[in-house]
Amino acid sequence: MSFLQYLINGISIGAVYAIIALGYTMVYGIAKMLNFAHGDVIMVGAYVSYCVTSYLGMPAIVSILVAVVACTVLGIVIEGLAYKPLRGTPSLAVLITAIGVSYFLQNAAQLIFGSAPKNFKSIVTMQPLTLFGGGLTITGEVIITIAICVAIMVGLTLFTSKTRMGKAMRAVSEDRAAAQLMGINVNQTISLTFAIGSALAAVAGVLLCSTVPTLMPTTGAMPGIRAFTAAVFGGIGSIPGAMLGGILLGIIETFSKAYISTQFSDAIVFSVLIIILLVKPAGLLGKQIQEKV
Amino acid sequence: MLKVEDMHVYYGAIHAIKGVSFEVGQGEIVALIGANGAGKSTILKTVSGLMHPRSGSISFCGENIAHMDAYKLLRHGLAHVPEGRRIFLQMTVQENLEMGAYINKEVSQKDLETVFNYFPRLKERRKQIAGTLSGGEQQMLAMSRALMSHPKLMMLDEPSMGLAPILVDQIFDIIKELHKSGTTILLVEQNARKALQIADRAYVLETGNITLSGTGAELASSDEVRKAYLGG
Repeated sequence: MSFLQYLINGISIGAVYAIIALGYTMVYGIAKMLNFAHGDVIMVGAYVSYCVTSYLGMPAIVSILVAVVACTVLGIVIEGLAYKPLRGTPSLAVLITAIGVSYFLQNAAQLIFGSAPKNFKSIVTMQPLTLFGGGLTITGEVIITIAICVAIMVGLTLFTSKTRMGKAMRAVSEDRAAAQLMGINVNQTISLTFAIGSALAAVAGVLLCSTVPTLMPTTGAMPGIRAFTAAVFGGIGSIPGAMLGGILLGIIETFSKAYISTQFSDAIVFSVLIIILLVKPAGLLGKQIQEKV
Repeated sequence: MLKVEDMHVYYGAIHAIKGVSFEVGQGEIVALIGANGAGKSTILKTVSGLMHPRSGSISFCGENIAHMDAYKLLRHGLAHVPEGRRIFLQMTVQENLEMGAYINKEVSQKDLETVFNYFPRLKERRKQIAGTLSGGEQQMLAMSRALMSHPKLMMLDEPSMGLAPILVDQIFDIIKELHKSGTTILLVEQNARKALQIADRAYVLETGNITLSGTGAELASSDEVRKAYLGG
């Protein structure tokens, strides 16, 4: 029974990674850059939610909405101020800027909130589900996290396959110049991508801190790196890949913590990544499409 | 309709287009011929806004477009079918056509029927991923995609590249038909013989300069052009 318990917990933490990984993978697909500040947007989202509930005494659902709006704006501002002026410069310049933005956000949070951890109160009030006479307990957080992850997955898939904007995003990600010739405003599309990715980061932040209630300025950093790994694992640029990669990573992490070693869990996770990339360099669902001449 | 005057274009320090002037009048087919590397594609990219000239002017329907962004130009009626087709290989044929109609907000069934009339093959394959099409079908898709926005001027970059002779004939027939139905055409081709056959007027481009111009027939019979581009 404990196997099933670990599996479910693994899927739940994996679902959070998957939501974060979507932000990495969409931005990479559209803007062809690795936004290493993405993890810290999660932390900002969690702080915003924390402030709204703790200082303003508002209900959890309001705090999530405020966090989503705040992170969406933050994402658009970061893109406009830090990345847009660098369009057309070598990707290394953009990468270093992203790392700079990451430190900026962490230090700004430290300045405002201090480095002492805050105790994040879970947004979930649902009672845990006990099955098999107490053999298996599924917490409300796990249920909500998985449900939200599935909803996001379905929503994004419909958005990119059915809507005009979503299709335009796919067009930009495949061929930026050709997309411009179709009359698609690439700058606007990139902003939209950052907006969506950052909104998802806010949701991920709240879910993450509901499961692991310690909130501090570096809260987003490690989950950010793991989610980035998940995105590469699944095939960076691919939306289903980010989902699959995130969930697999969560499961691998939980199992290695449970059965092998807590200290070595990150080493194990990254070893699996290295092995997968040796065998499948484009990631699990990464596409290597052949071009006809 | 399109007027380019003394246009200079650089790739970094390389002076690729050295003061080119040409014109395309309403209802014409104008061909731009020249060897590989002469700058034909660069001229089209600059006109369509993917690149910008360092100096000189480009006007389209009386408006100066030299520094306009590419995505705005289609709304003015200028479509560019780029070299190598550049269709969206991971999207379906239908989705590619929808992207062609992006500026119209909605895809009209009538427009789809019109392009399927020109290219019945695409209708059979509308649900297929574009990357699985043959080279000729991809060229047809690239042209159809551009047609979806009802351009006034269509710029075609090497539409015959890499195609079997029978397909080349087919593509040129369709260019003629498009022209008959009122679309002005600016055609860039390495296949000078074919291009001169259908062109009202043509320009010969050599390493960034226009060296000759005239009607299609004049150029086709000129000694210089015959030696250099028509194999004697």
